[in-house]
Amino acid sequence: MKRKKVIGLLLIAGMMASMAAGCGSGSDDSSGGGNGTKAEAQGDTKTEEKSDKITAILPPVTSAYQENVEDYIASYEEENPGIEIEVVSASWEDFSEKLDVQVNAGSPPDIAFIGSGDISKYIETGMLLDIGAYASEDMLNDFDETVLEYMKNGDSIYGFPAYCSVQAIAGNKELLEAAGIDWQNVQENGWTFDEFREACKKGTVTENGEVKQYGFVSACSGVSAEDYFNIFAKNAGMPSPFNEDGKYAYTSENMLQLLQSYRDLIDDGSAPESMSTIDGTKKNNMYLTGQAMMICKGTPTIEKTAYDNTKLLESGDSSAVEGSIPVESVFLPAPTFDGQSQNAQGTIDGYVCFSADTSDEEHISNVIDFAYYLASGETAAEVCRDLYVTPVCESGREAYDKLPAIEGKSEENTKAIELLQEQVAPARPDISSEKMSQATQLADEVIFPKLSSLLSGETTPEDMYNAICEAAYETFGEENCA
Amino acid sequence: MKGGKLTSRDSFWGYVFIAVPMLIFLAFTVYPVFSAVITSFQDYKPLGSEFAGLENYINTFKNDLFYKAFKNTIVFSVTSVPISILVSFMIAIMILPFRKKIQSMYKGIFYLPTVASGVALAFVWKWIFDSMPDGLLNSVLGVFGVEAQNWLGSKKTAMLSLVIMSVASGLGQSIIIYMAAILNVDPSYYEAADVDGARLWDKLRYILWPLVKPTTVFLAITGVINGFQAFQNAYLMTGGGPDNETTMVGLLIFNRAFKYFEYGEACAQAILLAIVIAVFTIIQFKVNSNDVEY
Repeated sequence: MKRKKVIGLLLIAGMMASMAAGCGSGSDDSSGGGNGTKAEAQGDTKTEEKSDKITAILPPVTSAYQENVEDYIASYEEENPGIEIEVVSASWEDFSEKLDVQVNAGSPPDIAFIGSGDISKYIETGMLLDIGAYASEDMLNDFDETVLEYMKNGDSIYGFPAYCSVQAIAGNKELLEAAGIDWQNVQENGWTFDEFREACKKGTVTENGEVKQYGFVSACSGVSAEDYFNIFAKNAGMPSPFNEDGKYAYTSENMLQLLQSYRDLIDDGSAPESMSTIDGTKKNNMYLTGQAMMICKGTPTIEKTAYDNTKLLESGDSSAVEGSIPVESVFLPAPTFDGQSQNAQGTIDGYVCFSADTSDEEHISNVIDFAYYLASGETAAEVCRDLYVTPVCESGREAYDKLPAIEGKSEENTKAIELLQEQVAPARPDISSEKMSQATQLADEVIFPKLSSLLSGETTPEDMYNAICEAAYETFGEENCA
Repeated sequence: MKGGKLTSRDSFWGYVFIAVPMLIFLAFTVYPVFSAVITSFQDYKPLGSEFAGLENYINTFKNDLFYKAFKNTIVFSVTSVPISILVSFMIAIMILPFRKKIQSMYKGIFYLPTVASGVALAFVWKWIFDSMPDGLLNSVLGVFGVEAQNWLGSKKTAMLSLVIMSVASGLGQSIIIYMAAILNVDPSYYEAADVDGARLWDKLRYILWPLVKPTTVFLAITGVINGFQAFQNAYLMTGGGPDNETTMVGLLIFNRAFKYFEYGEACAQAILLAIVIAVFTIIQFKVNSNDVEY
């Protein structure tokens, strides 16, 4: 009996010890589990030399990024012997959750890669660092001013932009030409919604009463609806949820016109009736199999996806998309509404810095320096090359010019993307983070859910518009709405 | 133990042995619940929260979406739980006459979705509910002349789709529990019923169903609790849409906490949900358990 109790007690002690080990946090020894891709110091002697440790959480910004980041770190550590970098890699699915948990537990990483749209959310936590106070003039001047504005809120700068990609429409060159659409003219001069609508009709092919090819398909399931809405809203006179007077813009008459346009494309038969349930994968599949002439959102990298798939088809590789056809993809701007100017939807992501304690200025200075290293020079050039966009900093562009040309990349597309990069809707650092958060919440709880209902034909544009107005008046007050 | 009496030394060892599960329970259940209650009265900030009084509760009650989410959650629970119970009871009866090996095979097949990852299941179900005319379910229904449905994108069918998914993916556990309960029924009842000339329906209605009632009550209560906490399917399949028709309270709490960082309001909603679940559970116990002996 006594022996059994002793064994039991030992087991309990073992369990308690393992629990304590599992719950332990904040240990400097990072040799534990997890999926960290830590750039380990070479040898014990070198480890002892390290005096400052910088932590970062990074998603797979490009397909090669997480592999390359180890080289970037090794190179940085070699140039800066007193610095040790620890990077936690995460998939896009896990990334936000991991970061949010760390931030809300009061122990954020020093550096994180986030979208500029999320800056206002993290400002509210009080831990996002205003890098403007620490970064040198040279660092800040390296970046294009219009893009750097996206990383601002008020007078504060919260990060270094890594790139500015654009989201618009991608078209199958062969099908566009077969439908008689002058895509080169569209790339250079843009098009109105009426012209776009006509093109969609021409690109729709029906056989025996069944649609074989849609003129236009957009991914609208879940978060994809957000992109479809934002891309078109920007060209409908609403480049931001707030107009120049700081009033909420989505209650203007422009919104009603925009909502009507979504229905028009479906009612014409140019877009599928079930568009509200089409996700990104399905949309790309329809594009590569020739079931869609144009798709939204089109990103610069869709050209590479189509090119790679065509190569697979030509070589008889079975990993090509099932039923796909050779596709040469052209990048097209989103249409503009009623004389409005082109305001392209830009994806500006970058590196932000967190700090729960700003007393250690040397550490903060090191963090800023490493964040700048990731966002500029060769690192930026390689990331932008993979994303088919031009870097947004001078040092990045210099490094980009030295990189070998991308095989099969279309010159026309490059020009169209560069033109849209210049036409990206201006940032709105003048809008407070609280107001921006309220607008995001309103969009998440009213606009996007109603949009899927509108696309399914279960809500009319007028009803949806009235619902937006009602919710906006309640949130911001009628006098603060356009 | 000596002469059936517990000595103080045995009691000491008893306490030592229950200390581990108690500590785990205190650390991972009691502490989070208390912490959630406290946070529900705070404006949560990682670097120092402020007392907010009843503001989080007031904001919750002023939010129309909260009521819609509650309505959706109740609709989901009251449809999926009875259907699930009935179907699993019927399947358990149908499996029972087979040989042991065949029974095990069926149990394994029905239990498989319970073991599968929720994300993988969602992918499969998205494929089944593909809204295009050549989608799997639409193709099957098309054979019977049914028009293609926008399963997850239409207000009319989105909730129904989630209920179908929930029922079909969650039958395994109920079937196994029902089979264990049915096997425990004394065969002499059936023999006596045979002598009295009872038909299959009579045996089911007057012998089996009343005798497995404790199992049914257990499945109903745990089913309703799980139903009220439903989150994953709505999150992965519809994101709460269309027009918030499938937004459940669990999804609302998740968004409030992890999307907008409003932990105080999220905790207030979670506390209210816990109260409602507790009330429902008590009512279920009162209504269903009067004639149940455990």
